[in-house]
Amino acid sequence: MSKDVLPMTVVLLVALLLASGLIAENGIRLQDGIYTVGTDDAGAAAILAGDPRFVVSLTDSAALARSQDAYDLVIADGAVRGNPTEKGRAALSAFAVAYRNYRNSVYTGEDDLFAAYPLWIDTVEVTSSLDFTATDNGQRIAPKPQGETDVRPSGPVEDLPTPPATLAASTEELRRDLADAPAENNGIARYLGMFSSGPDPGEFKTPSQLSPPLPFDSLIYIFVFIFPLYFTSQFAMMSIANERIERRGEILLSTPAGPLTIIAGKMLPYFLMMIAVSSAIVLITGGSFLILLPLVPVILFFLAAALLIGMTARSFRELSFLSIFFSTVMTSYLFFPSIFANVHVISLLSPLTLVVLQFQGTGFSAADYVYATALFWLSTAFIFWLCTRNFTEEQLFSQESLTSRLCSFIFAAMSREHPFASLAVINVLAIPLVFMVQMMYLVLLFNLPLPWSLVALILLAAFTEEVARSVGIVALFRGIPDFFTWRNVVVAAAATGLGFLVGEKLLLLVMMAQVTGSLFGTVLFSGVGLLWMPFLLHTAGALIVGAALKAGGRGAYFPGILLATAVHASYNLILIGGAL
Amino acid sequence: MKASHVWTIAKKELKGIGNERTIVLAILLQVFIAMFSSFLVVGLTSLYDPSSLGSMSGGYAIGYAGADSPLAELLEEKGDFLVYRMDLDEAGAALRERKLAAVVYVPDTPPDGADPVKITLYTLKNDISASVTGVKIREAMEAYEGMLREARSSRLSTEPVEIAVPADAGGQTFFIFVYGLLVPLLLFMPAIISASLIIDFITEEYSTKTLETLLSTPLTFTEILWGKVLAAWVLVPIQAAAWIALLAANGIAIRSIPEILLHVSAASLVLILIGALVALHYRERTSAQFVYSTALVVVILAVLAVPGNPANLIVLLAAGSPAPLHRAALVGVLAGTFLLAIATDRYARRLAGKTVQ
Repeated sequence: MSKDVLPMTVVLLVALLLASGLIAENGIRLQDGIYTVGTDDAGAAAILAGDPRFVVSLTDSAALARSQDAYDLVIADGAVRGNPTEKGRAALSAFAVAYRNYRNSVYTGEDDLFAAYPLWIDTVEVTSSLDFTATDNGQRIAPKPQGETDVRPSGPVEDLPTPPATLAASTEELRRDLADAPAENNGIARYLGMFSSGPDPGEFKTPSQLSPPLPFDSLIYIFVFIFPLYFTSQFAMMSIANERIERRGEILLSTPAGPLTIIAGKMLPYFLMMIAVSSAIVLITGGSFLILLPLVPVILFFLAAALLIGMTARSFRELSFLSIFFSTVMTSYLFFPSIFANVHVISLLSPLTLVVLQFQGTGFSAADYVYATALFWLSTAFIFWLCTRNFTEEQLFSQESLTSRLCSFIFAAMSREHPFASLAVINVLAIPLVFMVQMMYLVLLFNLPLPWSLVALILLAAFTEEVARSVGIVALFRGIPDFFTWRNVVVAAAATGLGFLVGEKLLLLVMMAQVTGSLFGTVLFSGVGLLWMPFLLHTAGALIVGAALKAGGRGAYFPGILLATAVHASYNLILIGGAL
Repeated sequence: MKASHVWTIAKKELKGIGNERTIVLAILLQVFIAMFSSFLVVGLTSLYDPSSLGSMSGGYAIGYAGADSPLAELLEEKGDFLVYRMDLDEAGAALRERKLAAVVYVPDTPPDGADPVKITLYTLKNDISASVTGVKIREAMEAYEGMLREARSSRLSTEPVEIAVPADAGGQTFFIFVYGLLVPLLLFMPAIISASLIIDFITEEYSTKTLETLLSTPLTFTEILWGKVLAAWVLVPIQAAAWIALLAANGIAIRSIPEILLHVSAASLVLILIGALVALHYRERTSAQFVYSTALVVVILAVLAVPGNPANLIVLLAAGSPAPLHRAALVGVLAGTFLLAIATDRYARRLAGKTVQ
């Protein structure tokens, strides 16, 4: 960064303070005047006077009766009526909250506190453990009465101390808590308050202060842990892109240091920075340092992606868009599963669930750790390997488009002497990435109603696998155009199928036991037992694409992929048809 | 300054975006978000207000321990809960096994006594179902509070104004979340993206040293600048319109669409010009993006604190609420944009003069 950024930063920080002061003074004026209210009652108008969301018109009863539909809410004769529209109902809901706050402000002024607030609640939160067997088939655990007359625990019964009947706080303390924490339902503020030591609502609450427990703690962990990582990986991305765009990398490449050394050296400071930021957050939030364990593979994956994006983007705008796209997709992958922490086994797909569990005090086992992070470790290794092979002058400074760059990356990683063996190896190595994409579909689709989620999953998974398998063949095809005789097409397809099969089964053996047991697993991984059927399937897919390329050239690639997807999907549908 | 020259540059930049498929990525991203917007809206609405999860199917089991009270009937009244009277220790164990949704313990304090009634509520930690049941438990507790308050009413000095609120009012936060937060957020996202795009457009010419080549053609420096501004600007209404169409496809109808697009376009030009000024000054991407994003936060905070700001007006227009001042505000924003445009033009001319010497 240039030097005159610093004074500007100081000016902007002062302006930021002033602007936050302005916001604190005025509030956020986003929803001002969204609801219209008509009333003939000055007392009711006074209740809403302090709420900028309502525009109140005070008229006489006759005028009000004539123009009822003009208002979202009408308050007359001591009752409130909402328009039968969605907006009218929302206005009514907002009025109910405002009215409750008004009543509470009247009661807080009473001399006899326990006459105004006769009921106090002490909330105790109980931790429940995960139950894998019950959640295996996409069902959530929720306590529902089974029609029996009695509920009895099946496990051991521990003693719960009988709570005392009196409040362990003085009247003054309770009054102060009531004034500090009004019975308002400001959702976001509660989340922001989680980490700050703001006004504590107090141990005992009145019913209107009783807010439902926060369901999505994990969202906060995403914001707190993942966003600093995005920012740092942005800098890593820009540093790589700078080497290329200003051709500074030439000097680095001319030194005796190999590509691996250069990459490791460039990535190390960012890695350390990310670890330091995460440790600082752990210290501030008072968590355990075990939280860093699931974060390390996430950090490494971000760096690997930053390296790949930095090496493939041709300009800064392409870099911006790629990084925005990558971060949105990664946020969904990390965030959606962790919503279901404690509820569904799918949640363990995201390393962030381990963070949530660790924060709750539940902890996680070594098996959970392997399950949640294996794909991150393996994908990271694959991307780093690919980038190291391509960290050469020729690749770094070319101006090809994104897809052809990726193809030439893959081609450069292959051995010219053993093209078929390279094809097989490329497919073995690409498996973790393919699985990650398929897990992403699982995460996004399992919430749909059952037949649709299965059909969509089958189609998307088949499409992804065919695209992944075709990558090696396309790279060869572009690299050595006259390589593909018909004999070679068949051999290449067989090599691809073999590589894919070996990679798939290896990874399944290592980590997938939990998912493969369920219906979704059968869809994704097309049966574990038989080996020759999936081999034929993989080979057939690659063969279709290879033949399409050979016969029709590059224009035939897309139809070829679609045909292979159709074959693959119908095979899976028949298989599932048996399973269903 | 010739309009055809400006248009040439704008076409070049737009073509660049098209060639790099960046705009394809941006649209993919929009579709991606929209595809899962039902999921997103449920998740985000409950973040905004967890009580919106309030619809339950079937019913939940609740353990009840301690002295008898009307609370048990209140919980069962609406059919939301089945109340099981049981021993506190057993209820606690059943709760941990998720056979119960919650456990209440009620002491034997008299309803009209001097002491308050203190109820202990045991719930499951960090669980969606606990959020769902929490809303209904609160309703029952508030009803019980009303009964107790009635029994002690002789000790109260003032009565609040009575307004009968229909019993089913509440929990309707979807509307205000969508129109009051999501719509302005999504519609201003293209403006923010375009403003950071103009920084890339300008700094790229400096970093790849292509500016001299461009200037050797009949194009002038200011023409190049305005061409880039134009390219970044035309993307805003297109993307905003795409959002409106995607929202409509998800069943969220937006009213007064032309007016909204006018407001978004006018306000986004301010952001783009700020981005252009910053980029002209620093000529280097990292510094310019850093200063711009900090300035953006300041501008957004300051603007949101003013009543009748463009975001507020868009909320009102989209929701179909009366926005009497929106034309006057539009004229105001346009006047401000005009002044900023003159300032940018002057600055660019000065820079151009320096480059020539």
